[in-house]
Amino acid sequence: MPDITTRIGDLTMRSPVMLASGTVGYGPEYEGIIDFAVAGAIVTKTITVEPRVGNAPPRLVETPGGLLNAIGLENVGLTAFLAEKLPEAARLPVPVVASVAGTEPAQFEQLAAAVGERDEVAAIELNISCPNVERPRNPVWSDAVAVAEIVSVARAATGKTLLLKLSPNTSDILSVAEAAERAGADALTVANTLPGMRIDVERRRPALGNTTGGLSGRALMPVNLALVWKVAGHVSIPVVGSGGIGDTGDALEFLAAGATAVQVGTALFAEPAVPSQIAEGLRNYMGKNDVASMDELVGMAREEKRVCAETA
Amino acid sequence: MSPTSFLFTFESGPDLPTPRPGQFVNVAVADDLTLRRPFSVAGIPAPGRFDLLVEMRGKGTRALAEKPVGSAVDVMGPLGNEFTLPDAGGVSLLVAGGIGGAGLRLLAQELRRGYHRIHALVGARSSEGLLNHVFPAPTGDGEVLLEVATDDGSTGFHGMVTALAEGVLDEPDAPSRVYCCGPPAMIAAIADITAKRNVPCEALLEEMMACGVGACRGCVVATRSGYKSVCSDGPVFDTRELVLEELVRA
Repeated sequence: MPDITTRIGDLTMRSPVMLASGTVGYGPEYEGIIDFAVAGAIVTKTITVEPRVGNAPPRLVETPGGLLNAIGLENVGLTAFLAEKLPEAARLPVPVVASVAGTEPAQFEQLAAAVGERDEVAAIELNISCPNVERPRNPVWSDAVAVAEIVSVARAATGKTLLLKLSPNTSDILSVAEAAERAGADALTVANTLPGMRIDVERRRPALGNTTGGLSGRALMPVNLALVWKVAGHVSIPVVGSGGIGDTGDALEFLAAGATAVQVGTALFAEPAVPSQIAEGLRNYMGKNDVASMDELVGMAREEKRVCAETA
Repeated sequence: MSPTSFLFTFESGPDLPTPRPGQFVNVAVADDLTLRRPFSVAGIPAPGRFDLLVEMRGKGTRALAEKPVGSAVDVMGPLGNEFTLPDAGGVSLLVAGGIGGAGLRLLAQELRRGYHRIHALVGARSSEGLLNHVFPAPTGDGEVLLEVATDDGSTGFHGMVTALAEGVLDEPDAPSRVYCCGPPAMIAAIADITAKRNVPCEALLEEMMACGVGACRGCVVATRSGYKSVCSDGPVFDTRELVLEELVRA
């Protein structure tokens, strides 16, 4: 059976199928429903220094092929996460990646240091790209200098593998990706949700309590796939593809575009078996198509890889 | 059950634990919809079977209704908490607005199985939407009472079901507990009416859901101890816990 073990920095995963932040809570909520043993890692709900109550409801609205959410980083805060949620998550048979977000670099530093010193944390994902919390006019995710500062201080605070979750909502993702790589990020998650809204015309108001939300689900897939293609061709650190991945075919496209691993999120709501289906589907694809290893699979649609394959 | 509401019976076999009154199932109704659709379990006609009472409202409910009899349907559940059943004695008042009857049907069946006395109040905009048949038929001995109200007066009491509830709770030998399910404004009014009379009241809330298990925090309701997930902390809440202004606003 083809080996789909995947490595990102010091994070070794049984499969390239990670569970995206925000969709699986802290993990135990889905115990007995998702088969964690086949997943590469779970990425926790984003943790902030202080607890956050989140946005006023309604927080969800379905869209054709997608979902808008405006949860607003509701979470228990760093102290309760370390004391209660992390030990519970660590009981699950899957590596735990802690997602963290600060309002300024010093908070990212504090969070990375605090979660980084815990053995239960296999890696850290810096979330700079949630569209549902208040921002100054120029969001940090579009600002390469600000992103570099966040990554640098987090890098100095921990030796753990650091992923940075980028936003698709930027005109120059490459500058941000490049700055993050130079500042010491071990991998880039590409990408978060895209801002969007719906209006409830009967009640004459936005459908979401927060007015706008983040678009996820299949509608987002081609958008983020193009970003993965772009970023993977530009940086030398691993890229983790995320955005509307719902089945093996979607995962294969992201891997073929150059993603080392993928994250599934919204698809879990309709089908919690998606991680096992994709893990099995990847093995079947590799077996049928004589793809010997994940190394061969990752980036197989890229020109540089195709030339190698033809001359081999 | 009404021109726009249908009762579906599902054969679950022994794999699904027997749902309790108040619990729901999250149903994959169509491949092209991002989310499952949560429905209250509205009856247990036999062991290994359960009923859903569904009002045709949008794509999801229509997709379910269009499935041929005998279709296999992917269901997660039973999910959520359950109504607190009374110990013994007294009368339980059940107040249902619109499709809210679906959320109270299994409770009414369970109460009758325990020989509890029930007084059901059923409200709708007009007679077409009335779901009075979801409740056990009234009995001559007063064990089961049923009254209906319509906003347009086409059947029963002309006015809001909440006005009927207020009257019932002010009678001598008034019900000792209240269960309700319906539009947020109705729940808020019943919560207010019961709080003023110091009668315990539980409400089954309806909300758009994604995960159904408390992971995504998408279906929250404002309570006195912060936002709670309707799917995993509820869907049944003590109405004294709810922040009513926010319930109505959302």
